[in-house]
Formats: sequence, structure tokens, C-alpha cells
Amino acid sequence: MSLFELPILPMSATSVAGGCASGGCATGGCASGGCSTARPDQASETSRREFLKTATTLTLGAMSLTLLPGAMAGDESSSATTPPGGSHPQAKKPMYGFLIDTTRCTGAGKCLTACRVENGVPEGQARTWVERYVHFKDGRVEVDLVPEIGYAASGEPQPEAEDVLRAYFVPKLCNQCVDAPCNQVCPVHASIKSPEGIELVDTDRCIGCGYCVQACPYGIRYMNHETNVADKCNWCYHRVMRNEQPACVEACPTGARVFGRIDDPDSEISKRLATLPTSVLKQHLGTIPLTRYVGLTDEVT
Amino acid sequence: MEYHALHDAPFIFPNDAHPAWSIMIVIYPYITGMVAGAFVVSTMYHVFHREGLRPVARLAVVTSLCLGACATLPLLLHLHQPLRALNVVATPSPSSAMAGFGFIYSFYMLVLLIDVWLLFRPAIVERAHSAPGPWKNVYRVLALGVLEITPRAAEIDRKLIHALSVIGIPAACILHGYVGFLFGAIKANPWWSTAMMPVIFLTSAVVSGIAVLTLLYLFLCRSSRMEPEEECMQALSRLLWMFLVLAVAFEFADLLHVAYEREEEWHVIRELLVTKLRFSYLTLQVLIGSLLPLLILPIPAFTRVASAGFRHACTGVAAVLVLVQVAAMRWNVVVGGQLFSKSFRGFVDYPVTWLGREGLLAAAVVLAMPMLLLWGAMKLLPVWPPNPESDSGVKA
Amino acid sequence: MTSFNDTRHLWALGAFLAAVGLVGMVVRRELVPDDFGRTGPYRASALDDIAARPSLFQADATCHACHESVEHERAGTLHEAVRCAHCHGHAVEHVATARRAAEDPSIMLPPAAEWDGDFFTKVDLYVTKDRATCLSCHAAVVGMPADFKKIDVALHLEEQGASEPLAKETCFECHGGHDTAP
Repeated sequence: MSLFELPILPMSATSVAGGCASGGCATGGCASGGCSTARPDQASETSRREFLKTATTLTLGAMSLTLLPGAMAGDESSSATTPPGGSHPQAKKPMYGFLIDTTRCTGAGKCLTACRVENGVPEGQARTWVERYVHFKDGRVEVDLVPEIGYAASGEPQPEAEDVLRAYFVPKLCNQCVDAPCNQVCPVHASIKSPEGIELVDTDRCIGCGYCVQACPYGIRYMNHETNVADKCNWCYHRVMRNEQPACVEACPTGARVFGRIDDPDSEISKRLATLPTSVLKQHLGTIPLTRYVGLTDEVT
Repeated sequence: MEYHALHDAPFIFPNDAHPAWSIMIVIYPYITGMVAGAFVVSTMYHVFHREGLRPVARLAVVTSLCLGACATLPLLLHLHQPLRALNVVATPSPSSAMAGFGFIYSFYMLVLLIDVWLLFRPAIVERAHSAPGPWKNVYRVLALGVLEITPRAAEIDRKLIHALSVIGIPAACILHGYVGFLFGAIKANPWWSTAMMPVIFLTSAVVSGIAVLTLLYLFLCRSSRMEPEEECMQALSRLLWMFLVLAVAFEFADLLHVAYEREEEWHVIRELLVTKLRFSYLTLQVLIGSLLPLLILPIPAFTRVASAGFRHACTGVAAVLVLVQVAAMRWNVVVGGQLFSKSFRGFVDYPVTWLGREGLLAAAVVLAMPMLLLWGAMKLLPVWPPNPESDSGVKA
Repeated sequence: MTSFNDTRHLWALGAFLAAVGLVGMVVRRELVPDDFGRTGPYRASALDDIAARPSLFQADATCHACHESVEHERAGTLHEAVRCAHCHGHAVEHVATARRAAEDPSIMLPPAAEWDGDFFTKVDLYVTKDRATCLSCHAAVVGMPADFKKIDVALHLEEQGASEPLAKETCFECHGGHDTAP
């Protein structure tokens, strides 16, 4: 369990959590599965009443956010607070993670088409995209988007290789923040943190106010101009629920995108997380992303 | 020219190309601001006994009510699923700043409605007896069927009105401070994310409310061939000047803070101010909307120079400029905050259309609606001309 | 002192507001879905709705279930990680039809179409022996990892003495298809 505790919680979160990370959690609760429940959505396992209490407390500050779910993280055996008859089994939910290895991405754009096919994303909007950062020898850093048909077919003018100091691709997708600002601001509970920790949109409840679009620091959310409700990358929740890989992961030929269970030390992602130094985007915002990156530079926003 | 990555090699996130919030979200805080501001003016008389404001005290409450009745219009026009609007009160999320709107707005409107009803009940009851034909029934319904006012009842009402005015002050402040918080609490957007936002919105709200009332008062006096009262105009000028000083000071303090700290995002904000917002911020909001009225207003507020007509004209002109300032401020916040990508590496174009649900025409209609309502209210109730007797009794 | 007559209007007001509030509560009840809050602060069935959406991007296993020989051809090659869909289209229709055909022998599978040069799904299933397919991954682009097999197309074709450098099938003069040798 402690294997993924470190990669998942960035330094700021661990220090905010204070006692939880260094004291109580590490000794008792965390080792027995408490850590995997250090997420706001744990409240969903209890009842709505509990949640209202929780959420009200959550708004009191970041302190309570990290402390409270830890305090609420009971063993699976002590499910006294679990109401009967939920539509989802109350067994321990798997914890998923996403790893982007920027050193492996070739910018072919295969993931982009796969996502659009899989999720019917309208043109001009995107659930996932790939950025290219080009550091020139004269100090300039320029960023552009990998075209969906790939650079070769797009015919876009390319920088001269001899002017370039270094360049790399950075795929973007939903960070599935543990403390997701988009979820926080949704006025009607149309933003759902699934029991697995994946952020979803209830397209039947969404009123289309666009507040979540404004609140996402990563530009992942968009107002789908075909369905007129908020839309976002959900790590292909429907595929994951039937034990398939997200479409973009399935489509990646170079292993730049890795998806899997971070609560299983034998999974590909756990092994890579254990050996590679990773970081998250806009860490200073305290959103605690579950999508982690290998090879991020501080140019990447 | 020097190489500038923001302009020469811009990069915007794919989903940032189309701003999610339209001109309706500019109008919405503009109107709620006037709601709060107009109410504050009325409490200046009803609670703080600023005698000079007597002629506009009733007008202020009714104006606030009419504006408030239209405050949800721009939101409904903006929602991509307007038919689901009531979800906000059906399944409100306690963690969402926006979900508070339904409750804060309802509470404020309730206070305002009862306030107006009690304030005008003598007139309603009187007309329920004297009005011709079918109008009698309209006033009977408005009176909720109670067609007499005992002296003791009038006394109770006076106390209630006072209490409601007192409750209404924080309610109005919360209503608009909350609108500011809606923006200020978005950490994803450095142009919005500041603890000052509620205060800035609130002070500029009061400013816009005073300005609207000043213009309404001047207009009504002119159309009913009355001289505007010297004392009232001076009181309005002073209030306007005082709150404008506050609003400008808060806005400046906030900008100065960001500019001086020069954090990561300042570079994109600075470019925003000198390029995309050059006209609407520097010219409209700062020069024309803030500095000019700050120079003009002391004349009617603190001097007796020249003729009364000239001084009233000064106040009027300043009020118009101030309304421009507040509109520009709303625009610069709402639209300005969406003009740069969250990549902080490039700017976005903001399309303004004439037609459509979120076009300029719809915006003009939304802004005209409260004035139409006010016109209707004035036909129905004795809002104007101000009645010295009934009003003076109120502030017991 | 205060009699009922003095506060009658307030009682009327109270009754009116209570009526409005009651209507509001009834309306609100109607607006809340039955399963709201059952598993968390959201409409419980929303999770099932989203989970029920079909998987459209085909994993290679789907293709190999029928095209067994291809699986063997590709096994152990450098291109094993390249998905069938990358060169043959997303085949959403094709797979759906094939599944139906497995039940009902009268359903015929339409042949694969000629590729129109677009990687963006306009053609469901295509055969391609086209240099553009290869180059969509292998044409050298600034930013590719150093150890990736990227080629300067013009230089490579000249060095290798391609007979018709611009022909569709030029790559296949030297390289194989499914069993692509480096």
C-alpha cells in the first residue's frame, strides 16, 4: 500500500495532510486499506446524509479535506454505515491511475482518433490532445498541437531539426483530481466522483451552466456543442468497467499511456510508478491529480 | 519588435477556443449589482435616516424589486439546458458556490417583496376601495383580501418595514458579494481568483445602484416637470462619490497587488490589459468610467458653485459614466477572464453576436425589462411622485 | 392591545407564503430522481448509464478472434504493439456485422474498402498498402524520442534505391506487411 502512497500524494498534499500521512495513516488506517479511501468520494459509500455533513465540512478548508476522509476511512468489515440496496456492490473498489511517459510519445496522434471514435467527441473540441514542446537553441520555447492525422499527413511546416535543442510530446487528458475543482463547483450534482475515483458527467442532470468548464485548471472540460451539456475525459469509464483499457491507451503503440490499478503492485502502472520519477500538472493548485507524468518540464502548463 | 511568445507563438488548449460564458454572464452581475445597490440607497433613508434621500427612498425599493425580478433572465438565457434550471434547487450541491444562488436570491426577493408589500399596503387598500371596475379586484388580490388598516396594524407594519430593511442590508450584500465570490473562488483563473472579488463586486454594485437611481430621479423629475430637490441630489452625489472612491480603491489595490507580486500569471494578465482589454479596461473602466466621474462628482457633492441645473447635470453625467464603468468592469472580469487560454501561452478571440439567445439584442432586451417592469409598477402603485406624508411616517 | 384585526394581513401573508412554499416543495420532490443519493451525492443510475455505453475502439484481440493467421504473423514482431485499427480503420461497423454474421450465416460481410487517405474514420474498414500509413508513424518529426525508428523519407528512399519513391506501395518493396521486418 505504501508503494503507491508516495507517488499519488504530492508533497504539498502530504504536508497538508500532516498527521495523516506521517502519523495515524501510516501506522494503522492506511496500511489496512484506509489510504485508498483518502478521497472525498469515500463518503458516497456511506449515505447522502453523511455526505452533506462531509461536504459542508469540506468547504471549511483544505485541512478538513485531507483529514476528514482519513478519519472516515473505516475498514471494509465495519460497514455499519453502509446502506443496503445500492446499485453498486459495496466491496472495495479498485483504485485506478494513469501514467503518461512523455519520453515514449512519438506524436503519431493515434490516441486522438481513437478517443474521438470511442466517445463521439465533436470536432473542435477534445477529451484528450497531445502538445509538442520545442526548445530552440536560441532559447525560445514553442508549443503546438499534434494534428489528429499526424504531422506527416497534415503538411504543417515543421521546425528545422538543426535549430532545435530538444523537443518532446506531452499528451493531456483528465487528471481525475482527487480534489476536483470541477466537481466542487457543479451546482446540481451532475458531476460525479465515481466510487472508483473517476470523475463523470451525468448528462441527464447537467444544466449546462459551464461553471465546471471554468473551474478546471487543465482545460479538460468543455461544453459539448452537440449535446449542450458539459463533457470531459472519463478514462473511458465504460471500457474500464468491463476490464478494458481506455481507448487512447489501447491505441498507443509505444506505451506512452499506461492505465491500470494502482492498488495492485503487480500491475504495469504500479511497476512503472515504482521505478520512474513522476510528477503532476499544476501541482501548486492542490487538486491532487491521479494522472501522473514522466518527464514533465516546467514549461508544461 | 521583440519576440513575444504570447503573440508570436501562441498556444491555446483546444477547448479554450470557445469561451464558455457569454455576454449574459456580463449582464447578470450588472443587474444583481443594481439590485443590491438600489436597496442600499433605500436603507440609507429607512435605516440610517438620511433625510435628503426621502424622494428616492420608495423608488429605490421598487427599482430593486423590478431589477431583482429580472436577475434570473440572463442566467436562463445562458444555460445550455434552461429547462433543467430548477435542478439548482432540487439537488443543490453544498460545495458549489453557484448552488447558493437559488437560496440567497429567493431569500432576498422574499425580504424585498414583503418590504414593498407592507410599504404600499395603505395605498393598495385605499385603491381596493376607490379604484374603478376590474382594477378593484386586482388591488383586492394584491391586498390578500385584508381591506382595512387599524392604527395598531400601521404601527406594526412600520416596525416590520424597519426590521426588513435592516435584514435586507446583509441580504443584499450577500447576494452580490456572493456573485463576486463565484468568480473569485475559481483558482483555475488567475484573473478571477482573488479574495478581493466579493468586495470589489459589492462596492461597484452599490455604485451602479446609486447611479441608476440618480438617473431615474432626474428623468422622473424632468418628465413630471418637477425641480429635483437640492438636498436629494447632493446626498446622491455624495453617496456616489464615496462608494466610487471605495470601488476604485479596491479595484486598484487588487490590480496593484497582482502587478507588484509578478507571479507566473502576471505576464499573461499584463499582456491582456495592454492588448485585448486596452480599450475596455484602460480607456473605459479607468479613464472614462473612474477618473472622470471622480473629478466631476465633487462639484455637486461638496460645492454650491454655479447653478443648481449645472450641478444636477454634473451628477447626471457622472452617473452615466459610472454606469459605463461598472458595465466595463463586469465585461473585463467575465470576458477578460476568458480571453486567455489556461495554457497561459496564448489569447482567445471573444465572438460577439447581435442575434441569438446570447446576442447583443437579447442583452439589450434583458436590460430594458426591469425598466418596463418599473413602469408597470409605477402605474400600479404610487411610487412617484414621492409622498412626503406617508414616507415620513415610515422611518419611525 | 394587539387584536386579531391588527395582524390579519400578516396571517394572510403567512398563509400565502406557506402555500407558495408548499407548492415549491411538491415541485422539488418531483424534480429529484428516485435513485438520487442512493450510492452517493448523485443520481445512482447515472453510473450504470455511462458504463452501458458501447466500446467502439477495437482491441486487437477482437480482430484476432477471427483473423487468427494475422495474430501468428505479427507475434513477436516489432509491430506487435501497432493496433489493427491503425492501418485498417476502426472497423466499428465491420465488427458489429461480423458478430451478427456469426449468429446468422445469411449475413454477408462487405469487403474492405479502398482507403481514402484519411485517418479519421470516414472509412470503416480498409486494406492499405500505402506509404502514408507507414509514414503516419515513422516520418521523422521534431520531438520524437531518440530511440524511435524515424526516417527522413526522401533520404531513406534515395539511399535504399526505391524504384518509385512516390508510389503508394513503395515501402513494401523492402518491408513486409503484418510480419514487417525492420
